[in-house]
Amino acid sequence: MDDICRKIRSEILNVSNKSGHGHIPTSFSIVEMLTAVYQTMRHDPKRPDMPERDLFVLSKGHASLGFYCTLAAHGYFSFEDVYAFGGFDSRFGCHPDRTKVPGVEASTGSLGHGIGIAVGMALAAKIASTKRKVYTLIGDGESNEGSVWEAVMVAVNTKLDNLTVLYDNNQSQGRCLPIGNPAERFAAFGCDVSEMQGHDLAAIKQALAKPTDRVRVLVCNTVKGYGCATLSENVYEWHRRAPKPDELTKLQGELHAGAI
Amino acid sequence: MRAQFKNTVSELAAHDDSIVIVLGDISVYMFKDFWEKHPNRFYNMGICENTLVSVTAGLSSQGFNPFVHTICPFLTDRSLEQIKLDMCYNNFAGNIVTCGATFDYAWDGATHHAYTDLASLRMLPNMEVLHLGSKREVDALIRSQYNSPRPTYYRLSDHPHTIETNTEFGKGTVLKNEGAPLTVMTAGPILTNVMEACRDLPVNLVYFHTLKPIDKALIEQFRDTEILVVHDAYGLYEAISEVPALRMRYHGLPDAFCGWYGTVQDIRKRIGLDPASIRGAVQTRLADRSQGARVR
Repeated sequence: MDDICRKIRSEILNVSNKSGHGHIPTSFSIVEMLTAVYQTMRHDPKRPDMPERDLFVLSKGHASLGFYCTLAAHGYFSFEDVYAFGGFDSRFGCHPDRTKVPGVEASTGSLGHGIGIAVGMALAAKIASTKRKVYTLIGDGESNEGSVWEAVMVAVNTKLDNLTVLYDNNQSQGRCLPIGNPAERFAAFGCDVSEMQGHDLAAIKQALAKPTDRVRVLVCNTVKGYGCATLSENVYEWHRRAPKPDELTKLQGELHAGAI
Repeated sequence: MRAQFKNTVSELAAHDDSIVIVLGDISVYMFKDFWEKHPNRFYNMGICENTLVSVTAGLSSQGFNPFVHTICPFLTDRSLEQIKLDMCYNNFAGNIVTCGATFDYAWDGATHHAYTDLASLRMLPNMEVLHLGSKREVDALIRSQYNSPRPTYYRLSDHPHTIETNTEFGKGTVLKNEGAPLTVMTAGPILTNVMEACRDLPVNLVYFHTLKPIDKALIEQFRDTEILVVHDAYGLYEAISEVPALRMRYHGLPDAFCGWYGTVQDIRKRIGLDPASIRGAVQTRLADRSQGARVR
């Protein structure tokens, strides 16, 4: 695991412990994807509204904890700021609010919305003839929503080669409505699809750097709770739970020992 | 009204590159000229109303003034959550324009009827809600609101009225003020029938095209009268109720699907919204008031 990704995961645990709010496993599964995007796209944490910036939309808004800690790791604010996560009058809600948190481009939470907004942003960049790139991260569970596939069809039909969809394939829906082979499905919709181990930061960055003339989809095969065996082996128990002090010590130990 | 919508937007777009059209495979031929003149600002995006609204929000986020347009219930009922979250909660503006108001598509049955849109959109924070009644109103209010910082809803109908009204955003119009103890309040195209019904009756008549924000100051002027709301949708009665402690009654839709096909006139007649039935309802209120006065 890359140092920055370990640091982000460590802070996710700290924030969850201090705030009492969770969604840790789903936040852990996207750390490399988020890090790859923020190490690739044009952005300036000192000028979050920089006109020529690229845009990122977290469509699976319930992973906001991972998102906030990634933004903190890239200089948008401090990790300590995020300790107010979910608290009354905090900027940092359990789903992100673009009007409160610098670096958040769209407020999300209800699933299947962010990708459509991202399509609109990418279309706007095309109409304005800018070089802006738009990235959105969607979940496999979220992809039960029909609106996800509407948005993909529209993106392909409007030839949005400036749009990248990162698909967090963390096996969320195996228990109810699985998306059999997402790479084949996105390819059938006309996307330029790459599939990779979703915790391989270098591989994700390499895929993001590859030129394309179509809507780009990265199917990232991930593990909920990646980095801590206690989380990855008990995802239902930890779905929305915050660690108590003794559990925090144990989880930090697993994370820093490299155990899965 | 649809043709006026197209004409007004086309005129604006000739001088304003921020205007983008997003259609749900409706009114496409009507916008042919726009498409030819501005091919990169015209998108017949498909029959995918949820995504039409989300994309509209995304376009707005980047400084464009988009118009999303399709049939009323499919845009406002089906995509209510996209309007609520992607536009209102995100504070992304944009213009939502629907056709097929209330029973405009009477013959298509209840799947194509639309009467909850005004009421449900009125409840969303940040929203501006317009129940346009005439072509003049369409032209004036699109021009004044298309680049508003808030999401704006424009409800179009195939049966506009031709009555002169104040076209200023947020303002109602007093069409009759006889100092009467009964005031009829209405909105949108049904004004044609209401006007005919009330023309020679001793009542005041007040009309609105803007349901949010409602013209509270105007309503206050009639506080001391009984208010009879005559409307072919939900939303106006609730908007007027923002002024507290009024004496109000509603004459309009039944709590039923009106799936009898035919024409808008057929359905209006059956549910009591034709001129004769409205006149009867107003006369009943006048008689009740008169009887009440005798008792007192």
